[in-house]
Amino acid sequence: MNGFLADWAGAVPVFAAPFLLATTGLIINERAGVMNLGAEGIMAMGAVSAVIAMLSGSGLVAAILCACAAAVAITLLFALLAVVLRLEQVLSGLVIFAFGVGLSGVLGDSYANQPIKALGPVAPRIFAGLPHWLGRILDQDPLTYFAFVLPVLVWWVLERTELGLRLRAVGEDAPAADAAGVNVMRMRIGAVLSGGLVLGLAGAHLSLVGSQVWVNGMVSGRGWIAVALVTFSRWNTLRAIGAALLFGAVQAVIPLILSSGLNVPIYLIQMLPYVATIVVLGASGIGRTSLSAQPEDLARPFLREERR
Amino acid sequence: MSVLPYRLVLSPRLAVPRWLRAATLVGGIAFGLICCAIFLIAFGVPAGDLANQFILYVFGNSAGLDQTLTRAISLTLVALSVALCLRIRFWNIGVEGQLWMGAIGATAVSFYHIGPWFLRMPLMIGAAAIGGAVWCGIAAVAKIRLRADEVITTLLLNYVAYLFAQDLLYGRWRNPTDQFPVSPTFPRYEQLPTFGGWHLHYGVFIALAATAFCWWLCRYSRFGLLSQAVAENRTASRALGIPVARITLTTACLAGAVSGLAGFSIVSGEEHKLTQFVGNDYIFPSIAIAYLGRANPVGVFIAAIAVAGLYTAGDSLKAFYQLPDTVVVTMEAFLLMTVAAFDVFIRYRIGLLRSQPKAIRAKAVPPAEARGTGA
Repeated sequence: MNGFLADWAGAVPVFAAPFLLATTGLIINERAGVMNLGAEGIMAMGAVSAVIAMLSGSGLVAAILCACAAAVAITLLFALLAVVLRLEQVLSGLVIFAFGVGLSGVLGDSYANQPIKALGPVAPRIFAGLPHWLGRILDQDPLTYFAFVLPVLVWWVLERTELGLRLRAVGEDAPAADAAGVNVMRMRIGAVLSGGLVLGLAGAHLSLVGSQVWVNGMVSGRGWIAVALVTFSRWNTLRAIGAALLFGAVQAVIPLILSSGLNVPIYLIQMLPYVATIVVLGASGIGRTSLSAQPEDLARPFLREERR
Repeated sequence: MSVLPYRLVLSPRLAVPRWLRAATLVGGIAFGLICCAIFLIAFGVPAGDLANQFILYVFGNSAGLDQTLTRAISLTLVALSVALCLRIRFWNIGVEGQLWMGAIGATAVSFYHIGPWFLRMPLMIGAAAIGGAVWCGIAAVAKIRLRADEVITTLLLNYVAYLFAQDLLYGRWRNPTDQFPVSPTFPRYEQLPTFGGWHLHYGVFIALAATAFCWWLCRYSRFGLLSQAVAENRTASRALGIPVARITLTTACLAGAVSGLAGFSIVSGEEHKLTQFVGNDYIFPSIAIAYLGRANPVGVFIAAIAVAGLYTAGDSLKAFYQLPDTVVVTMEAFLLMTVAAFDVFIRYRIGLLRSQPKAIRAKAVPPAEARGTGA
């Protein structure tokens, strides 16, 4: 059983990292008052672009950059619809969701199911002296390490810098921020694009570290789970670390159970992350104060000429 | 934005002329189709063949028309489900799950031989409607009681329903004769009759009846009027004594039931058994159709036929040019994107303003000495 627990613990960070990156990206969006439901599609674009770059013979760094570029390109479209044209944000997000999932399927069609050289752990030697299970947890690839550093950086920027203050002001009360001289549209576009960049990293993590192959539809709801995790972590990137670890643990246990040879209903086990998300989302709404962290102007387009 | 010489200014419109609404819709669809054409040409479809694919194969021959209309049945039903919910600003992204639960409900009645043979079909319809209604109702209750965002809950329930169906198909309901993951084939009296020789089945009447019912509900019923108030302003409706929670739950359950009927029409009219492919790819089409049809039941019916044509065209594109399945979703996304983007003309008056006020001021107010010499 020690082996099982060590396997599980070692797999958790890799499964948690895409959730953590995606949640962090979405928190940047939502703190500026933009709800991006296209996360699933943007992650799919990131994942497929990384694989296409790898299979075309470029290096890992180039693959990650490709993923970010593709994600930012499709996020630009979202920014145009939701921020510039002030379309309903839910609708804009759904369009980007479908567009990203559809286009990634078309682009990746001839690259599907071809394994790639994966992004592996960086320095196994350093951790040799530690207990086995601790070594397994700490020994990860650079992208996973980055996934756990980024939320701290983002938290610092959001809570401790003037840029963060301006961004949060736009998300809490856009007219007041506008009156105080913050360019609301520019701030929102900036937040959406940097969030999209991080979502692209999440997608790249899925294909470069997680599956090491592109399969159509491989994001399989992780983008949506991340949208729910934003609520669960109460719009705070530090809490997102805990939330992502929890869901990483849920996701990591599935392949272990399936390969253990135990006689369990495999399809019902696969429901776990989705059911857990719904439960967690419901539980977030029970307390009176738990939703109070939600940015006041979330999903509300701002136009100076419009009466509110 | 001050770096640009001109600044985009949107000012809200109060009244929108009818011609502008029509022109915007037509313009959006036309622009979307152009985008789709460019997209397809970029992926290797010869430009000359596009017209063939879209007109000849879809509406020009009876096989294409048959496929289009058959597909339009389920698409109409799921899009009506989204449209009903849209009318109270409830986002139902879970039609696929509701459709699966409907299909599972109908198949359960068949599998466990519930009721005598002549009551079998109505029981299957009822079970399908209940299955869908419960699935959507869960999300509505979570929204009302726990303030859980219905966009996420309905969407995630899709995965749960799909996996539940897989569990049944690979477990208890697996066909005992050949071990394929499909349920046993329904007997004749559980299958919707077809129009002689066509695949098109009597599910058409279900789709027509559902459209008519939704049209009556939205247009003439007290319920429709109240839900319009709820859509406009939930807080004000509550203050006026309108039972907002009850209306939300009823609408969601009705919508779920309509999606469930789509599941029934597929298993009973098309597949004649529960298969793994019953609920594939309905989430986004349902939203696109509901939006293209302006959440109006009659509009939804028309849009569903048009989008079903897109699928028929997509099938021939797949066959002739080896394009993947997702090409159709991408085209739908293009269409919805352009139509929704063109809506900006309905909501706002758009103007360009010079963004260099200094230059303008210099022209408007000439320097003092110039004025002095002039006088």
